[in-house]
Amino acid sequence: MLRSCLGSGSVRSICARLSRPTLPSRIAPLSAAPRRFLQAEHVPLRKQLKQDAKALRSHKKQRKESEEASRQEWELTVGVEIHAQLDTEAKLFSRAPTSTSEVPNSNVALFDLALPGSQPEFQIATLLPALRAAIALNCEIQPISRFDRKHYFYQDQPAGYQITQYYEPFAKNGFVDLFDYDGIAPEDGERVRIDIKQLQLEQDTAKSQEYPPSTQLLDFNRVSHPLIEIITMPQIHTPATAAACVRKLQAIVQSCGAVTTGMELGGLRADVNVSIRRRGESPGQHQYDSISGLGQRTEIKNLSSFKAVEDAIIAEKNRQIAVLESGGVIEGETRGWTIGSTETRRLRGKEGSVDYRYMPDPDIPPLFIGEDLLSSLAENLPTAPDSIISVLVGSEYNLPVEDAKPLIELDNGLRFEYYHDVVDALRTLQVDQDDKTRASLPRMAGNWVLHELGGLLSKADRAWDAEIVPAQSLAHLLDQLQRKRITGPTAKVVLSTIFEGDRRPVSQILEEENLLFRPLSRDEYVALAESVIAMNPQMAEQIRTKNQLGKLGWFVGQMMRNGEKGRVEATRAEEILRELILG
Amino acid sequence: MKFTTTTIAALVAVLPMANAWIFSTCSGQWDSHGNQGCTKSSCKTGDTIDWENTWGSDCVLRLYSDKSCDNQIGIADDDWNDHTLGKSKPKSAVDGRLISIKDNICTRDMPTTCASGILDKFKSPFNATVVDELENAGAIVAGKTNLDEFGMGSNSINSHFGAVQNPRRDGSGEDLSAGGSSGGSAASVAADQCYASLGTDTGGSVRLPAAYTGTVGFKPSYGMISRWGVVAYANSLDTVGILSKTTASVRDIFDLLNKHDQRDPTNLSIQSRSRINAYHQTPRFASRLTSAPLRIGVPIEYNVSELTPSVRRAWILSLAHLQKQGHTIHPVSLPATRHALSAYYILAPGEASSNLAKYDGVRYGTRAAGPDGDGKPDGYLYANTRGEGFGAEVKRRIVLGTFSLSADEIDNYFIKAQRVRRLVQHDFDSVFAAKHPLHVTASQHAQNDSVTHPDVDVLLCPTAPSSPPRLSDLTDPKKKSSLDAYVTDVFTVPASLAGLPAVSVPVTVAGQGDEAELAGIQVVGQYGDDELVMNVGEMLEGRTLEEAA
Repeated sequence: MLRSCLGSGSVRSICARLSRPTLPSRIAPLSAAPRRFLQAEHVPLRKQLKQDAKALRSHKKQRKESEEASRQEWELTVGVEIHAQLDTEAKLFSRAPTSTSEVPNSNVALFDLALPGSQPEFQIATLLPALRAAIALNCEIQPISRFDRKHYFYQDQPAGYQITQYYEPFAKNGFVDLFDYDGIAPEDGERVRIDIKQLQLEQDTAKSQEYPPSTQLLDFNRVSHPLIEIITMPQIHTPATAAACVRKLQAIVQSCGAVTTGMELGGLRADVNVSIRRRGESPGQHQYDSISGLGQRTEIKNLSSFKAVEDAIIAEKNRQIAVLESGGVIEGETRGWTIGSTETRRLRGKEGSVDYRYMPDPDIPPLFIGEDLLSSLAENLPTAPDSIISVLVGSEYNLPVEDAKPLIELDNGLRFEYYHDVVDALRTLQVDQDDKTRASLPRMAGNWVLHELGGLLSKADRAWDAEIVPAQSLAHLLDQLQRKRITGPTAKVVLSTIFEGDRRPVSQILEEENLLFRPLSRDEYVALAESVIAMNPQMAEQIRTKNQLGKLGWFVGQMMRNGEKGRVEATRAEEILRELILG
Repeated sequence: MKFTTTTIAALVAVLPMANAWIFSTCSGQWDSHGNQGCTKSSCKTGDTIDWENTWGSDCVLRLYSDKSCDNQIGIADDDWNDHTLGKSKPKSAVDGRLISIKDNICTRDMPTTCASGILDKFKSPFNATVVDELENAGAIVAGKTNLDEFGMGSNSINSHFGAVQNPRRDGSGEDLSAGGSSGGSAASVAADQCYASLGTDTGGSVRLPAAYTGTVGFKPSYGMISRWGVVAYANSLDTVGILSKTTASVRDIFDLLNKHDQRDPTNLSIQSRSRINAYHQTPRFASRLTSAPLRIGVPIEYNVSELTPSVRRAWILSLAHLQKQGHTIHPVSLPATRHALSAYYILAPGEASSNLAKYDGVRYGTRAAGPDGDGKPDGYLYANTRGEGFGAEVKRRIVLGTFSLSADEIDNYFIKAQRVRRLVQHDFDSVFAAKHPLHVTASQHAQNDSVTHPDVDVLLCPTAPSSPPRLSDLTDPKKKSSLDAYVTDVFTVPASLAGLPAVSVPVTVAGQGDEAELAGIQVVGQYGDDELVMNVGEMLEGRTLEEAA
């Protein structure tokens, strides 16, 4: 009932927006556009669009086939490093506040600027979100860890070194489980576990803005913003799984309250290391993080979206295959990736590689982390996203996994909280209903919270706020809908009214706007159906003789359009049409 | 003189001070002979400054000992005291006293150059904790003193502003080294330009200049005095040291500065301080110097071939003097000493290469003309700025430190040197009667478990192997290499590596001819035994020792 009211089109399109940006516009012109300009002949737009879509499909298919071919011959190995800004009040080594949108250079302490004679002052509170992340990633927290200096010269690095944890990081040996619903590659099956080598606390750099040829503007607000670096073992073998891994790590560190801003706002950045080896050949020469037999790896720095992670790995893998197949050798080097490009580019080679000269920082005492702190943090950690998902897709909520995931990921969990409020209120309103009806409520609420309300938000380009449509109002609206006192379309109109700021109670809106559903009688349906069949008897004939049932939809649409607004139910209309046309 | 006008012009504007003194800028009033400058705005170039009277108004000395000066005139501290101390009850032992500050300690109101070209116009936006403490106690910052660039040197000749000259001369009237790196501080005290001076001691930089200039130079235990605002050379070794004419005045200043400062993460916590005190108040250690005679250790490894006869004589006579007072002398062995100097010259440059990476001319300091990296994407980013800004010795130590921290070498150099450092600490722990008070557990307090070790209270040895070298010899490239200068630190470096308190006091050995020889004698104690070290130093300070007939 609910599904048909919504119309499947809107659900799909919002879903696509939520999960990943679409890409056809970029690839289509590659195949079709040049020809179009060379040949003067006029192609109708509709045909053009069809051709483009076809070209895109075949391009995707080709890519998939060649990927599969190369996968069978070459084994790809990927490790991921993620830098995430911790959600803290103060910087890592000064009392200056952290900020992302303040006036440049307004939150800077003496030590942040590396002024001579200034010294670090470790801010203990920054440890809490870092520990939450480590616990959420199943790490062993080290009772003693230390800080080291990593040296390199760059304008965004005022001290000439970054303070990090190289020799003794605070957390080691964790893991993250990736499930099929996380978007891992089909060949990885239902679940794959990626080990996490370590988590380390470190400083962020300044923000620099380049004005070629020789001007750099520097904003030191970001200097020493606390970061965690998460390093996975090189255990990933497909680009899709690597992207899923980054996405999952972001979701976990966000849901445990360690990190607030994700990749989209620059609060999280990823580096990947990539190597390949030919299947069935003797193992490669290289060993990384105690995994041996790998090929020479390269590192791709500063990937700022999940798609960039996937695309850059594909491009780099293909580059390495091309080099090896033409008899070349892979150099250990650092490479960059520009969004929209098809190749990674070399940043610096091994001979020019930086020796970071890691040195224990002589000013900063070791960190001693007590068991008592860890156990109290672990107790207060929010439920992990995977456990919530399994509850949501279970019998109590019965949500499809593609709804459950965005629900808990959106708006830092606020959307999920809201959803919970709606379900609770709705269940209260529907105590009188039978068990079956009551069991269907969470799924219905999921639809509305995610897709209907989500659609309004993105259409109006507004940020999430639970007060735009109070949970109680939505629950009342859904209660009316469930009791068939209003139709789906009416409910959407009312939702939109509330969204626009109408603060009258739902019942009052329905009353005053005369929106309560007065169902059409059977006779009225029949009359309406007959009138629309009369508009296009040939089509009715086709349905009858050729059994082209798909065309029934057109008549349903006409009935909705011609009937009294808000009174025609699509399912009922279709029933009557079938009866009249098919007999 | 090289530094005059530019440095003074950088002395900015008006500074409100508790005692209503006003420092203001003017340029060109430097008395290049007297190493004195006046910041009085009404002064004109060439004016004769009546130091006696202008002191009472709004002029202030800026002490910068310079090689070219031949007559370092200063205001004797007694004169100054007459001026102010009669007015009201002094608020501390240093109230109204002039104290000069080594120019690697940050002052808000005067430049802080570290004697480096890269900071030659730099002014710190904040005061070091030690400067605030002194000013709050009523002391007057007399000025900033010259040094080896960033503290790297043993003769105060590696300065962007020229070499420091020792107020003492040798028999033939030749200019002598004032020692380094706190040579300007020592010279300002020796020349009576101020009551005391704050220096820094990383491997002997306060003790060696004290020995060369005939003053008292004290390096406290690591972590006693705040390093906030002290420009780092090698953080794990850096200490603020005090120079003055007498141990008594050094003690006064130490008592003021010896307190916890949370802005310095390496500063001793209040809890650690009370543990140290508790340990020293146990009967065994509380009685030292009051009733029991002291056991004085003589490290046999310090009797090196480079030791000059006059210094050896001063050492022997000092021991004899103490023995005469009833104390006992015990030879001890510190076998790791021979490796200590090498370890120091790995560790200190290693940390220095890291600490000095911040000088890039971007946020402060002197910047070379033209774009970074010569505008080329693969150019070396700050090569020009750092190449022009740093002096030769600093560059040498940065390269040395960069090498010993590099991925291929760190295990062979930096890590090994850290192990040697542990051995040096262990050596000291095995000869002192007192344990390292932060390494003992409460249950060990009462125990007296010593059977085999010598149980000495302090160690006594020379501060430097020889008397001060001539400046002309040091600057002559044919005569001396930097390695020779490194060797002068051989007796001071071990205490630095172990973080122990040490003082250098001057003694005079009555000569057989007309010449009396001045030498610095060093007293080293267990960690936290700063009081004891100063007290033993005081027994020798200023003594004229004669060979037994």
